[in-house]
Amino acid sequence: MQKAITVKNVHIKYREIKQISIRDIFLRRKEKMYEEYEAIKGVSFDLEKGKILGIVGKNGSGKTTLLKALAGIFSPNEGVIDLHKNTVSLLSIGIGFQPKLTGYENIYLSGMLLGFSEEEIKSKEKEIIDFCELGDFIYKPVRTYSSGMYSKLAFSITAILETDIILIDEVLSVGDTNFRKKSYNKMKELITDSNRTVVIVSHDMNILRDLCDEIIWLHDGKIKMRGNTLEVLSNYEKFMK
Amino acid sequence: MKKFIFNLKKYYKYSLYSAKAELKSEVANSYLNWLWWILDPFFFMLIYTFISQIVFKDNEPYFPIFVFIGLSGWNFFSKMVSCCIKLISDNENIVTKTYIPKYILLLSKSFTLVFKSFISFALVIILMIFFKVPFTLNLLWFPLIFLILYIFTFGICTILMHLGIYIEDLFNVVDILLKFTFYMSGVFYSLQKNVPEPFNKYLLEYNPVAFLISEFRNIMMYNQMPNFLLLLFWLLFGILLCFIGIRMINKYENSYARVI
Repeated sequence: MQKAITVKNVHIKYREIKQISIRDIFLRRKEKMYEEYEAIKGVSFDLEKGKILGIVGKNGSGKTTLLKALAGIFSPNEGVIDLHKNTVSLLSIGIGFQPKLTGYENIYLSGMLLGFSEEEIKSKEKEIIDFCELGDFIYKPVRTYSSGMYSKLAFSITAILETDIILIDEVLSVGDTNFRKKSYNKMKELITDSNRTVVIVSHDMNILRDLCDEIIWLHDGKIKMRGNTLEVLSNYEKFMK
Repeated sequence: MKKFIFNLKKYYKYSLYSAKAELKSEVANSYLNWLWWILDPFFFMLIYTFISQIVFKDNEPYFPIFVFIGLSGWNFFSKMVSCCIKLISDNENIVTKTYIPKYILLLSKSFTLVFKSFISFALVIILMIFFKVPFTLNLLWFPLIFLILYIFTFGICTILMHLGIYIEDLFNVVDILLKFTFYMSGVFYSLQKNVPEPFNKYLLEYNPVAFLISEFRNIMMYNQMPNFLLLLFWLLFGILLCFIGIRMINKYENSYARVI
């Protein structure tokens, strides 16, 4: 099988904010310039194309950090992440929205920010507008939206402008009951597409059981267990009790 | 550098679109907001005209135009410099959620400011018609001088943007330096006439902002050819600054998201 993601011995350190100020330079305070905290301590795995990988772990175990590194938001301090030339996006809500502009204009703004060309967005525009069910509100400024409408629009943009690899951080359903069902189904449709590789971070065991081919259990920045969904999840649930 | 050009091609449409979006959202709330793009430089022109013509009894010919050119050039420079420092943390929402080359944020900001300064220069032209200042062919050098101002400013801003992430009180320092540069650039008085002999020449030649503003005046009001040698020097210097800044950003931008 073709590989979609290869992660080799990745270490990621956070430098605690510790901005310096010019005053400090003059006063020559010789402190350590930064404090380091290692969030990921040597993780390696690879994932075949079309597979769905779940990541579990308690809060602070490095799940989101790993996801952000996969999305290219920051690069690892050590190790290699190779996506084999696949396009990737982190499914997050409402990137780069300008609240004073209309929903329609924000589709373009957000889409272009995600790296799509104007023509690509144009061809999907109708689908996005239909899917988000906002009706005429799409031509009203986003600041007038209710929070549900806001997330509906944001979800539709990211779900319909699809990439080869999708990274999902805990946002699987938004909006009212009806839209929730619809977005969950859309999500499922996206995820189960055999050409698409997906990494999901979630605390919802039912969703993971429903969707994932395999699970990685992260604990303190290391892989504690990897394998079959049911097996890892039952161990994880035992551990958490 | 190759990466820069590649990214420029990929993202310049986004930066144009987001610049347009920003301008639009400035006027979205009230239809008269765009009037401030005109009124703002206009009233500052009135203030400086009052101070120097009436309080200090300076008699520069066509003073309103003189000041307006100075302000148009200065505003572009100072607004770029003062907003670039916080640019990354202002766009935290974007920076922490997706990858974007960070100078694209600066590029997009610069487009909005270029647009505003073009409005401002358009007003200069209107004033020139009003005061019957003769138009000459030297006016054609305008794009060249503006380009050099742009490249130089962009270069400084890439470097400051990078430093602004790590140094938290950089803004205060830059604010003071900007005030200083403002008075040293002859925005509302003639450096040539008011500063004693050797110093006025130094200021005009080695302060790029003062130099470029006076070049704008030379080609627009005084029918003089620009000083090509110095222009070339500042162009090369600006390109060098861009080069350094972009390299720094390329090298360190991955850690930005972890600092803010």
